[in-house]
Amino acid sequence: MINLHFSGEGFVPPSTNDFNLPPIFENIAWLTKPVLLVFLSVILVSLFFVISARKAAVVPSKLQFAGESIYAFVRNDLARDVIGHDFMRFVPYLFTLFTFVLTNNIFGIVPFLQFPAMSHVGFPYVLALFSFFVFHYVGIRKQGLGKYLKDIAFMPGVPKAVYILLTPIEIATFFLVRPLTLSLRLFANMFAGHLLLLVFIMGGEYMLHDSHLIMKIFAPFSFTFGIALTFFEFMVQCLQAYIFTLLTALYIAGALADEH
Amino acid sequence: MARGNEADAYWSIFGYLVSGLLFWGGVGYFAARFFDKPYLTLIGLLVGITGAIYLIWLRFGRQ
Repeated sequence: MINLHFSGEGFVPPSTNDFNLPPIFENIAWLTKPVLLVFLSVILVSLFFVISARKAAVVPSKLQFAGESIYAFVRNDLARDVIGHDFMRFVPYLFTLFTFVLTNNIFGIVPFLQFPAMSHVGFPYVLALFSFFVFHYVGIRKQGLGKYLKDIAFMPGVPKAVYILLTPIEIATFFLVRPLTLSLRLFANMFAGHLLLLVFIMGGEYMLHDSHLIMKIFAPFSFTFGIALTFFEFMVQCLQAYIFTLLTALYIAGALADEH
Repeated sequence: MARGNEADAYWSIFGYLVSGLLFWGGVGYFAARFFDKPYLTLIGLLVGITGAIYLIWLRFGRQ
């Protein structure tokens, strides 16, 4: 019973194959675990905030307090402090972004769910694309297309000839590197974190099932490290949700500012 | 505001360095392929990093 898939062929380290989960039903190819988790996160987040706000009272219940704390955090610490004047327009987007990413990240360490959907690069790409369109759109609306692009491409106070050198770098930064780093940062953190947990926990399992006594003795260390890293992962997951939202807010603030 | 500005500076600097290397390094790479002179890639990368550092100085060092 114990040696089900350890028939003495050596440890198979976790790889990218562990991220390609098969479809849940054989004939629906798109319905994989990450997709299901994303749907679940949407339902959970909506339910939580609807319930916490339904019986809103002056003296809040514990649930209402929890919901309002998260909302207040996004509104005050992210939107108001970063965007400043006229920030309320962006609070719904930032709030949705933050709670959605946070929930999906934390799914990575919730027992039985245990998979961060953001470790599939397609999900962060789409989120970064949303942010990309939002901050360019508000910039163009606020300043007009011509002035907005001119502000991006031409840094003031530079001799004209130098623009040949600098303008391509500015354009590449705003239209390519920004959305790309936004999505890849989230993706890489979730991917690496999940892989790290897989290494220590599957490694511990393998050592426990090994025939050598020394391996068995050291297996608990691997598990302990796995548990410690789970707490570490929790921190990274919260931090990445925060950074994603913070950078989106910063890009919006930059697009609204008259000059950068 | 201060915390936001710090994060902004940090990631903007990173972004400029990456795009400077990518763009001018890329130009250098294709120039090297086209003219069959491999050292052009290096020149492109150096030009890119110079431009990026100059941009960073313009944006954050002047104030």
